[in-house]
This record gives sequence, structure tokens and C-alpha cells, in this order.
Amino acid sequence: MKNSMTKLAVFLLVAVAFTSCKDNTKPYVQFMPDMYTSVAYEPYGENNVLPNGMDSQAPVEGSIARGQVPYDYTNSNDGYEAAKKELKSPLSVHELDSEKGKALYTIYCAVCHGKKGDGQGDLVKREKFLGIPNYKDRDITEGSIYHVIMYGRNLMGSHASQLTGSERWQVVNYVQKLRTDLLK
Amino acid sequence: MSSHYEAPIREPLVLGDKSYHDITVDIAKPIEGKANKNWYIAFTISLIAFLWGIGCISYTIGTGIGVWGLNKNIGWAWDITNFVWWVGIGHAGTLISAVLLLFRQRWRMAINRSAEAMTIFAVFQAGLFPLIHMGRPWNGYWVLPIPNQFGSLWVNFNSPLLWDVFAISTYLSVSLVFWWTGLLPDFAMLRDRAVKPFQKKIYALLSFGWSGRAKDWQRFEEVSLVLAGLATPLVLSVHTIVSMDFATSINPGWHSTIFPPYFVAGAIFSGFAMVQTLLGIMRKVTNLENYITRLHVEYMNMVIMLTGGIVAVAYASEFFIAWYTGSPYENFTYMSVGAATGAYGWAFWSLILFNILIPQFLWIRSVRRSFIGSFLISIAINIGMWFERFDIIAIVLSKGHLPSTWTRFEPTFVDVGIFIGTIGFFGVLFLLYARTFPVIAQAEVKSIMKVSGENYKKLRDGNHE
Repeated sequence: MKNSMTKLAVFLLVAVAFTSCKDNTKPYVQFMPDMYTSVAYEPYGENNVLPNGMDSQAPVEGSIARGQVPYDYTNSNDGYEAAKKELKSPLSVHELDSEKGKALYTIYCAVCHGKKGDGQGDLVKREKFLGIPNYKDRDITEGSIYHVIMYGRNLMGSHASQLTGSERWQVVNYVQKLRTDLLK
Repeated sequence: MSSHYEAPIREPLVLGDKSYHDITVDIAKPIEGKANKNWYIAFTISLIAFLWGIGCISYTIGTGIGVWGLNKNIGWAWDITNFVWWVGIGHAGTLISAVLLLFRQRWRMAINRSAEAMTIFAVFQAGLFPLIHMGRPWNGYWVLPIPNQFGSLWVNFNSPLLWDVFAISTYLSVSLVFWWTGLLPDFAMLRDRAVKPFQKKIYALLSFGWSGRAKDWQRFEEVSLVLAGLATPLVLSVHTIVSMDFATSINPGWHSTIFPPYFVAGAIFSGFAMVQTLLGIMRKVTNLENYITRLHVEYMNMVIMLTGGIVAVAYASEFFIAWYTGSPYENFTYMSVGAATGAYGWAFWSLILFNILIPQFLWIRSVRRSFIGSFLISIAINIGMWFERFDIIAIVLSKGHLPSTWTRFEPTFVDVGIFIGTIGFFGVLFLLYARTFPVIAQAEVKSIMKVSGENYKKLRDGNHE
């Protein structure tokens, strides 16, 4: 009896010793977290001092950062028409990179528009939503493509935050190539 | 009797008409009796100093190193001064028990136990400073090359501060084992004499079942000799490594190839001085005057003179080399005209006075053999050797290569408080030791009683006449 009690006690001790007290739903304990949390503001940090409770604050309206080009066409049908007529790609032939355009298109556009631009993206095939047009059915120019990436149109949202200016023009170039292929 | 020859010129090492039993009784008396009032007073004072030191250490760690008087140019001052001072004090113990054993010096037997205890307690104090002078002592374990989750990030083995870690920890552990091995027969003696069951139990545990058989003694002697052989290079290398904290740097005044032997000599110098101080008191309060005799004091004073002489020669060569190099930077090292006349001139001259001038009185035989004289000189040396380390560190750092970095160091009460705390801690440990451990290795003293005991010598000399 005494022997089995001792065994049980030893077993329990070993069991306790090998049991982790880590809770996977919470951050684990830290030993002396001297420089673990930032004293400086981090980009996506919470902030009790600044408005919105965020470290990231919107720039003053109308200010232009170095290296940025403002987009002057308005987010309206008039703006769309104007961009369609007037807006031209600033990229020269040497700067156009269809590989890059393809990569960006595959990431940001193909999920709805389809890899060929035929409106048969994965989401359409699975019927998550419908009404994605085929590029060959629409009369689009490089200006209008750029405008739609900037502002979005109907069901499509703006992609200006995902793509930089030159990246948008690479995508525009690739979309035009897809449209040409579709029209053949 | 007559079969043994010992030169009649040798003075007896054990005074009085002592038998084996007398030795046992004399050594067991402080342990078996009750502590007197003076012990409690000394213990209380030490304990208060120790607690004050703990307070200062806690304040430092809780608030930051900035509570010390260090600045950005003098990053080491009292902390490392005290570290080196305590390590140095610890060296005499191993020297007495190991080096003197290799040289078959019989006079070591009455003092080696206390000297080793002093070593161990002094190394405790020394070991505190490398930890508490860290900015982040809680990461102190990073100095150990332990496999870890930082991609098994290891230490750099090129730093003398890392060698310090190995040196001090090895030194402490070897000293502890050496000391404890020697204690086994003495604990067994206390175990066998104990009348109270609790004491008997304790000393039975401490003595590891020592039964004193021939085979045990044979191996005991072998182990002691091997450990002495190991401890001797260790004792020389430990303070060498401590000296390399400075000697491997590029600071004028620190970058000096003389440091390793000179620090070791200084360590033995200061260590023997501390042994002299402690035994001067201990022989009185524990009535061990027949074992720690004038002759022991004189022999220790001779070692002090020798090592003090080596240290003085080292000072002279540092001073000479500072001039002889022709390097203008060497004009402000701790042994230079710049130091003697500079802002730390008082520290420079204290060093000269306490370390070089006062110990010269030991050339006089009556001073060397005087208990009070050697006690006072030993205290002077303890002060002087503290100043040596302070001068090496603070004077050198106060005037480096760039005049725009020249500055001064002023200790704060925390610097001083921690030093006082370590003295208190040392006192607490030593006072407890003196009440619970046999302060003289009775087994060893018994082995020389018939050779060097006063009564036996008289008998023998009588036979010759």
C-alpha cells in the first residue's frame, strides 16, 4: 500500500513537472521583456494619444509627397470619359515589363477577371458573384483601365492602395495585351 | 625519539606540553562552547553591514547602475576595484594550503584551514561584483556557453571577462573541494566528540562517514597532493586572468605585460596580509595561541616582505617604463609623474605609503615577530592593496588618450555601501565559520606534534646534549 502510494506520488510529481502551463490562446510568459515592446510608434500600432487610436494618421489633404504624382481625374462618369479619351501611359517601351504586369495581374485581378481576362475568375466560376465582363466585350482604353484601377467601377473597388502608380500602368499594359489576345 | 632528526635550529611550531588529546580539546572548544558577548557584538555589526550591502545591491539592480558614481569614461571603479581586491585576498588561502604543501612547509598546518575559509568567503564577495556591476544582471547567464534558442548563440571566448567567469568559478569550486576534503577528518573528530544528538547528526553528515582507516588516509594524502598540484597553477592563473582584464586592453597604464605576475604577487601580498589580520584576532579570541605562534606570524611576514618586494619592483618598473617608452600617454598612468601630481595624487601616495613604505618595517626582526606590529602592518597592506587596484582602474581611466574625455570619479554612497556590505558578508561568514568549523586542521597539526612540538623538541634536544 505504502509502496503504491509512493509510486503514485512520484508519478504525479513527474506528470506535473512535465505538464506545460502554456495557454495557446494567450501570449506566453516572457522573461524580462526589456526591449520587447517598442517605445517608438510602430506603423500599425494602437495609440491612445493620436486621433482614431492609431499610430497611422492620414496625411493633410492636398499635400503631395516627394515622388508622388496626383491623379487629377474625378471619380465620376465625366472623369471616366475624360480619362478614357486623354490619359496616356507615362511608361516608355523600355519600362514596360509584361512579366511584372502579368504577375501583378495574377495577384490582384485574375481572381475575378480570369487569367485570360475573359471574366471567368475563380470567384465567378464558383458563382460567388456574377457580372464580371469579358475584356473583349468592352470598349476600354489604357486611360479608362487606369481610371478604373484608381477608383473602381460599379461592383469593383479601388485598387489604388494595393498598386503603386507604375505598377498600375504595368497592369494596364498587360490588360491591353489580354484584350488584344481575346479579340483575335 | 632519537630515531628522528630535525635540525635543532628549528623553532617549535606547537607550543606547550601538548598531547594529541590536548590538540583535539583546544580545537573543539570554540565549537562545543557557547559564543560569548563579543562574538554576538561582532556578528551583529557584520550582519547589519551585510544587510545594508544587500539594500545597496537591491537599490542598484532595481534602479540602475547610474546610482553608482561611474560615468561614461570611467566605467569601472569601485566595483572592479573591490572585485580584484577580494579575489586577491582569496589567493593567500590557496597559496598556503597548496603551494606550501608542495614545499612541505609544516608551519602551514596551523593556518591553512582558516586561510582556505578566507579564500572561499573572499571569492564569494568577489563573485558578487561581476554580477551586480552588470547593467542587466538577470541576463548574466548569457556568459555561459549554453545551447539555446537564439540559433545556439554562443559567447566570444576572446574576452578576459569570460575567462574571469571560468577562472573564478573553477577557483571557487576547486578551493571548496580542497577545503572540504581536508575538513573530513576534523568533522569526524567533532562527530565523535558530539554529545548532543543534533550536533552529532550534523557533523555525521558533514564528515561523509570518515572512519580514518589506513587506506583512507593514504588516498586522502594523494588527493591532497594532487589537488595542491592542481590548485597551484590555478591560483597563479586566476589572478593572471583577472589582470588580463586590464593588460589586454589598449589603455595606457593598463596595456602592460608585467601585470600577470605582478597581480599574482600583489594577490599573495594582500591575501597574506588579510590572513595575518584575521589570525591575529582569531588566535586571541579562540585561545589558539599555542598553535598560531610568533613563528607563524614571522613566516607569514616573510612571505609578505617577499611579495611586497616583488610588488614594489613592479611599481618601479611600471614607473620606469612609463618614462622609458617616451610615449606621452604614459605620463598619466597610475605609476607616473602625472599620477603623483594629478588629481588622484592622494591615492597614488596612499599606495606608496601603505604598500611600499610601511611594510618595510618588517625587515626589523622585533616588528616581524610582534603580534600587534604585524597586525597593524597587515591592515595597512589591506588598505594599500585596495588603493593599488583603485589607482590602476580609476587613475588610468580618468586620463585616457583624448583630453576631452578626461574626467573624475566620485563614489556615491551606494558604491561605498556595497563594499561595506561585502565586508559585512565576509564577517558574517567568517564568524559563523569560526563557531562551527574546526579552525585549525587538527589532523595535520597532530602529524607534526611529535616533530615540531615544543615538549618533544626539548626531549630530543636533551638527548643530543
